Amino acid sequence: MRPTIRNAIISGIVFGLIVILMDLIGLFETLSDILAGFIFDKPTEQTLLASLVFILVLMGMWAGARGAQPLESSTRYKERLGALTAGFTTGLIVAVFVIIIGAINAQGIDMRKYLAQMSPDSIEFFLFGKPPLTAALIYILLFTAAGLAGGLVSLLLGRGRLSRGYEKLRTQLLTSWETTSLARRINQFTYTQQVVYGVLVVLALALPFTLGQYWNFTLGTVGIYVLMGLGINIVVGLAGLLDLGYVAFFAVGAYTVGLLTSPQQLSMFQISFWPAAILGIIIAAITGIILGIPVLRLRGDYLAIVTLGFGEIIRILIRSDLLSDYLGGPQGIRDISGPSLFGVSLTSDRAYMIMIILSILLAIFVTIRFQESRVGRSWIAMREDETVAQAMGINTYTSKLMAFAVGAAFAGLGGVLFASRNQYIGPEDANLLVSINVLAVVIVGGMGSIPGVFVGAFVLKGLPEILRQLQDYRILAFGALLVVFMIVRPEGLWPSKRRRLEMRETDLEEEADSPPIPPGTTPPVSEESLS
Amino acid sequence: MNVTLETRALTKRFGGLVAVSQVDLVIPEKSIASVIGPNGAGKTTFFNCITGFYTPEEGDILFNGTSIVGFTPDRITTLGIARTYQNIRLFPNMSAFENILVGEHPRLKSTWPEAILHTGRQQREEAAALKEARRLLRFVGLTGLGDQLARNLPYGAQRRLEIARALGSSPKLLLLDEPTAGMNMQETAEMIHFIRMLPEEIGITVLLIEHDMRVVMSISDQISVLDYGEKIAEGSPVEIQRNPRVIEAYLGRGAASGLDNTEAEAA
Repeated sequence: MRPTIRNAIISGIVFGLIVILMDLIGLFETLSDILAGFIFDKPTEQTLLASLVFILVLMGMWAGARGAQPLESSTRYKERLGALTAGFTTGLIVAVFVIIIGAINAQGIDMRKYLAQMSPDSIEFFLFGKPPLTAALIYILLFTAAGLAGGLVSLLLGRGRLSRGYEKLRTQLLTSWETTSLARRINQFTYTQQVVYGVLVVLALALPFTLGQYWNFTLGTVGIYVLMGLGINIVVGLAGLLDLGYVAFFAVGAYTVGLLTSPQQLSMFQISFWPAAILGIIIAAITGIILGIPVLRLRGDYLAIVTLGFGEIIRILIRSDLLSDYLGGPQGIRDISGPSLFGVSLTSDRAYMIMIILSILLAIFVTIRFQESRVGRSWIAMREDETVAQAMGINTYTSKLMAFAVGAAFAGLGGVLFASRNQYIGPEDANLLVSINVLAVVIVGGMGSIPGVFVGAFVLKGLPEILRQLQDYRILAFGALLVVFMIVRPEGLWPSKRRRLEMRETDLEEEADSPPIPPGTTPPVSEESLS
Repeated sequence: MNVTLETRALTKRFGGLVAVSQVDLVIPEKSIASVIGPNGAGKTTFFNCITGFYTPEEGDILFNGTSIVGFTPDRITTLGIARTYQNIRLFPNMSAFENILVGEHPRLKSTWPEAILHTGRQQREEAAALKEARRLLRFVGLTGLGDQLARNLPYGAQRRLEIARALGSSPKLLLLDEPTAGMNMQETAEMIHFIRMLPEEIGITVLLIEHDMRVVMSISDQISVLDYGEKIAEGSPVEIQRNPRVIEAYLGRGAASGLDNTEAEAA
């Protein structure tokens, strides 16, 4: 009995502290506001309170579910008791907190001096407008009940069944797709395959026409992140080179197009968008190689530190007074011109959305072609074991430079589109957080996985756009999400899958085609020895 | 008799420690040669010098008559020397099939623009590479396991996959670092069988490091013994088994002298 209870009490303490922390930074008010606004048209006092209780109950249920975690030799009864204990402990801790802040508030001391979010109103709200002792009692009852409910729910669903269910569903979907006759036909006949891809491409390109200006702009931002995610996916996901200064290549692309098309600076060089865009991509790729050469021999942490420094150097150079005559210093570059085709200006959000989608399609195409060639294989081999990769005859120098160059070219393209769409680029668009965001996209989505980049970009860039009111807590949510993902799904939301090469090919080819097993070769490993 | 590999007075030092000292070795084509010695005798360092991970301080390494000292590991592999590792070092998150494809890397010639454009040459080359990988998978007896991730394979299969990967580059010389380490009796017997047929079946030369004396004695044409970095003996399995210096290195002085007496008596 003891370990179950101890585990439950620890869960309760942790959740109690989380609830306190969330209140101290005013998260409950914001969340209730969002929730009430989402469900009801106009948040009233009652609906706000209802939302708060709802959120608290969810927290309590989570605590209860943790507390009900079955240990060895535990029975259903003990698990229920654990849930109850976890909820009660959470309630107790929060109750103590409530009494303390209630007392402080009653004294008329303004806590905002120390904690900006702790206004008297906010404290009143957290106390449900009741006196401290009553509120404390409510909290204990509420969390105990919620904890028990959470424990029952988790026992009903089974331990960890949710995450396993998701994984199972995904594999089922993929395998059922692979085994359908349609998929087989598609895989066998390249023409059908091409038709299916063609339809997908047309659908993707039709998307911008069904969306309004706001969504085209918002999804365009997500799209630029997808593009950069695809780039860093090559450098970090495939080649395993941890690059924390990735934004530098984005800046190079953006500033190239800015300098070459804005009338503001260097007007003697002013050219139209298309050649400037191509130059931007090429110069970004060259920058990638230039960064690559000195860091060739560095591995792991050292590489991360040096690239981090490189990214900051680029940003500081852009900002500096030294180059402000050329690069605009902190003001950045304005009036960057957009593209036009046959005299038609393509500067609407919709036109940019189409260009972004085309760029993403190009990037995916290039990535797939690389992955299926010796170049891509050498990247993955390098990620897996650099020393052995070299011993297998891979020239790790050129292979690394190649990865840097391709990744940088994608980022450069992203920068070109970003600068031209906003008609502005400044040093703050190239700050460290962009690198970290893009890296987070790949980590959350799944290293080395193309669909993972999309999932990651939508989760990390799309959601904050949708939940605009959460903006103050975006960084907090980011950090929390990353930590949770690293613990729960270290391989990402949509991890990459190795291509099936042996089976698919043997299906198509004649078995008799290959030479017979030479005498003395051992037979294939049996199922027994596999287990 | 063609010589595949020759080392002349090969010496490798780490600070004051001489790991390999003045080692001369001649390995004829299509033979199986073994390097044995107690732990820390410098066997793996010797391998690392040949494959280019270490640059020897003195001496020369000739591969098919040309010196390869100072070459990078990838260049040496491209010339035709492939190796396996004492502690298996496959690419764990790649499938068995892809591991072999990476092994074929030095033989493939297509460049990145060809990869993007899918030129005819590149596609023919990829198709041939897939076919070769399938053949190698079959050759080492792993047909049907090609799409498994390397890390999910059973131990013996991993050892064989490592050899298949090394064979992927179509080497002329294959270096095996303890190919039967950690194997049970049956797996060891299969591995002996497999290694023994390599020179005849695909015409390559094999150099191996091995601790298991049954393995060494049953497959080697020639055995070299290292002790404290020096070559103390060389010869056929029978000669090595009788060599007092070898017995001394393995079992200590007393054992050697005791055996010396019996040898002398027998003579």
